[in-house]
Amino acid sequence: MRHLPVLLACALGLLAAPVARAAIATDAVRQDIGGIDLVVLHTGARDVVTIVGSLPAGDDRSPAANAALATLTGAMLDKGTTRQDKFAIAQRLGDVGASLSFSVGASALQVSGKCLRKDLPLTISLLAEQLRLPAFSEEEFTKIKKQLAGAIRQQLEDTDFRAADAFSRAIYPAGHPNRQPSPQEFLAAIEKTTTAEVRQFHSQYYGPTGMRLVIVGDVDAGEAQTDVRNSFAGWTGGSTPPAAPRGPMPDAGREQTIFMPDKTNVSVVMGQATQLKYSDADALPLRLATRVLGSGFTGRLMANVRDKEGLTYGIGAFLDNDTFVDGDWRISGNFAPNLLDQGIASTRRQLAAWYDRGITAAELERTKTRVTGSYKVGLATTRGMAGTILTMLNAGMPLSFLDEYPRRVSALTLDEVNGAIKRHLDPNKMVLVRAGTVGTGPAGAK
Amino acid sequence: MNRVLVVLLLTALGSAGSWPAFAADPPPVAVPGFKYVRSVGAVSEYTLESNGLTVLLMPERSAPVVTLMVTYRVGSRNEVTGTTGATHLLEHLMFKGSPTYNDAKGNSIKQYVETVGGNLNASTGQDRTNYFAVTGRENLEGYMAIEADRMRGLWLREEDRRPEMTVVRNEFEIGENDPRDALDKETWAAAFQAHPYHHPTIGWRSDIENVPIEKLRAFYDTFYWPDNATVALIGDFDPKSALQLIAKYYGAYTRAPRPIPQVYTTEPQQTGPRRVTLRRAGELGLVSLAFKIPEARHPDYAALNLLSMILGSGKTSRFYRALTDKNLTLNVQAGAEFNRDPTLLQIYAVLAPGAEHAQVERLLLEEIARVKRDGVTEAEVATARGKYVAATAYGRDGSFAIAENLNEAIAAGDWTLYYTLDEATRRVTAADIQRVANAYLDVNRSTTGWFVPLAAEPTPAK
Repeated sequence: MRHLPVLLACALGLLAAPVARAAIATDAVRQDIGGIDLVVLHTGARDVVTIVGSLPAGDDRSPAANAALATLTGAMLDKGTTRQDKFAIAQRLGDVGASLSFSVGASALQVSGKCLRKDLPLTISLLAEQLRLPAFSEEEFTKIKKQLAGAIRQQLEDTDFRAADAFSRAIYPAGHPNRQPSPQEFLAAIEKTTTAEVRQFHSQYYGPTGMRLVIVGDVDAGEAQTDVRNSFAGWTGGSTPPAAPRGPMPDAGREQTIFMPDKTNVSVVMGQATQLKYSDADALPLRLATRVLGSGFTGRLMANVRDKEGLTYGIGAFLDNDTFVDGDWRISGNFAPNLLDQGIASTRRQLAAWYDRGITAAELERTKTRVTGSYKVGLATTRGMAGTILTMLNAGMPLSFLDEYPRRVSALTLDEVNGAIKRHLDPNKMVLVRAGTVGTGPAGAK
Repeated sequence: MNRVLVVLLLTALGSAGSWPAFAADPPPVAVPGFKYVRSVGAVSEYTLESNGLTVLLMPERSAPVVTLMVTYRVGSRNEVTGTTGATHLLEHLMFKGSPTYNDAKGNSIKQYVETVGGNLNASTGQDRTNYFAVTGRENLEGYMAIEADRMRGLWLREEDRRPEMTVVRNEFEIGENDPRDALDKETWAAAFQAHPYHHPTIGWRSDIENVPIEKLRAFYDTFYWPDNATVALIGDFDPKSALQLIAKYYGAYTRAPRPIPQVYTTEPQQTGPRRVTLRRAGELGLVSLAFKIPEARHPDYAALNLLSMILGSGKTSRFYRALTDKNLTLNVQAGAEFNRDPTLLQIYAVLAPGAEHAQVERLLLEEIARVKRDGVTEAEVATARGKYVAATAYGRDGSFAIAENLNEAIAAGDWTLYYTLDEATRRVTAADIQRVANAYLDVNRSTTGWFVPLAAEPTPAK
């Protein structure tokens, strides 16, 4: 059975909206356990428990001379501990169908797990063991370096990745946490990194300080706290997230083309840095305005560039990368090479109209209703709830924000929303990146 | 990467004896016009007697939301040359409105569902097409009214087809961008010569571009009838009230005026290995192996599913140890496709830089030969079963996840697979797995695919 979802883009822009229920702040149990900020929320889900977490050991902690250090350290966590090898750990998780994974982002190591209720103690204990006691064996390190290098080579085939990757370096200055190193720079860093450096990084940045853990689903808060307390007892260290200066606002518009041979679709990213963090007062009104432009089937971009003009399969607008530090605003879309210019022109028209005239009072009211309604839908999964709680905490928001969110949305005025567009965006200073079989070949980047 | 989704989905299907989330065998409700058929697990089946519409109700009150899904028993298996991709294109056109509900009036299905904060979408597969929304329970009637209207009231205008054709063509182009997607199409086309699984669900490009609106209209008028559809309702609703709503909105239609055409083409026996090779610009090579296996309702399906997990699921799998852990592949995945008709067990290996296709292919085949010769251990079976059982629970995390899995069981021709496949999985032994490996992983009924990347000179990243 192979199937085709009709609209990928319908989800664009929705992810940043918190899901909520009657009173998360009162239902959730939050406690500091040996430095770990633990939040446990029991929901109506049966038997399923979702675990998410973060640790301030992201790529922003890698030294300037070694962009791969944080990623390599995180990648070694599931490659065996000082107590058991990776196969033994995988076997114990696999026997009960539980999963644990780690990924390193710009500003944090992210933890993700799932298990049945009965297996939470085992899953938490293995999570703690992997975080605390990675073996960092030379044999596994050699393997993971090759695996990572291969994974980057694979990403180079992906037009979406190539466009977004170049966009990050076009809008963020050197030293900004959201600026991605070039693939070549990253590959070179992988090659030269040693286990000694990885061990040192782990020793310096891994620990309970700064760690957040959110457990949601069919879970008893007291039992979960006990599991975390027992498994992480005696762990010390860690760090608080670094204070990063905000990046500059854009000074001029630019365009860039990444030529990739034999591609039938062109990925386009257009946007700019905003200097805004999720917790800033203008972030919420700008998010609401952006939903009107670029979220769902009825957003202006989909309704016009796709539905009326047939120029794209998917296009959306959203704010991104603003949880920990100041982030960006972007439009992301796909176009056939022969419709690329038309597609970009149509997108620019929608952007200009939205920027020049703002959204209407009717659109604002519809969007408020929509956001409020999506709360109930967001209740439906443990993963959605857990992820949202963690995002809010990482953004520096209190749990009560999740309950206040509908009221804050309802209270927004048209002036606030349209004013936020003008204060933080400028279409004339946006960067546009195309990736695909466009231009004149390897030497033809515009 | 459709196949990845499929693997995850199938491991999430079904569970019978231990479904803690739902009371088993809910008592039927009596509503005039409906015939109660049966209850299995937490799902009750009814038939709307006036037109043959199948209705599945699954109350699940973990959240105040409801998922309404309509599954039409038509997919790309119902297409022929010239109309490949028609099912999918029609699915897109189903969002273009009707005289009663449309964008101009401000009450189209998109406008309604998004305004109330629901999630709306649709998908097309080889065996089915489904339309669904997850909304707050208070919006059930509003959504059902529009969803039911488009079963028979769709506009289907040429002026809508023209711009939508380029949208769908762009979707095709996005797929072609992905080496695995491209290799997948060629693999199925080689593996199936007579059966319509030969062509991709999205269709061949020239058919997408040229299929006339009249043929799409004929397709709609042939397959979009209540007696070729199942309405499934999962979530926080009252069964009696729900049936009354279904009677109100779907009871307006008659049965199909002519019998729904059935696919009668069967794939001839394959009697020798087949190969496909793609050479395109790219970075990493791919090797795929595809073996003919029976349909989802076949008694051997559960064993084949566990076999694919033992071969290719996670670090404990045979392929991980033999290839990925030796830096010959980035990953290897295996999955037994879940289809109405005989289908494929597929294996995909992404080659690590420097690895050679022939070497990876040989090692994959050696591991398969080892399973056929020596069998698998009871511990391996227990691990695969453990993963399966947990996945069934994860597949109940919200009404939409349930609907998604139930949809595939409906498409396979027996919605009770949602539960009975779990029973079958619990009974699988190591001997069963060795037996099905020998029965189906036959090189003479296989298709091997290579994606060979041609050297490219990417633009230096800035």
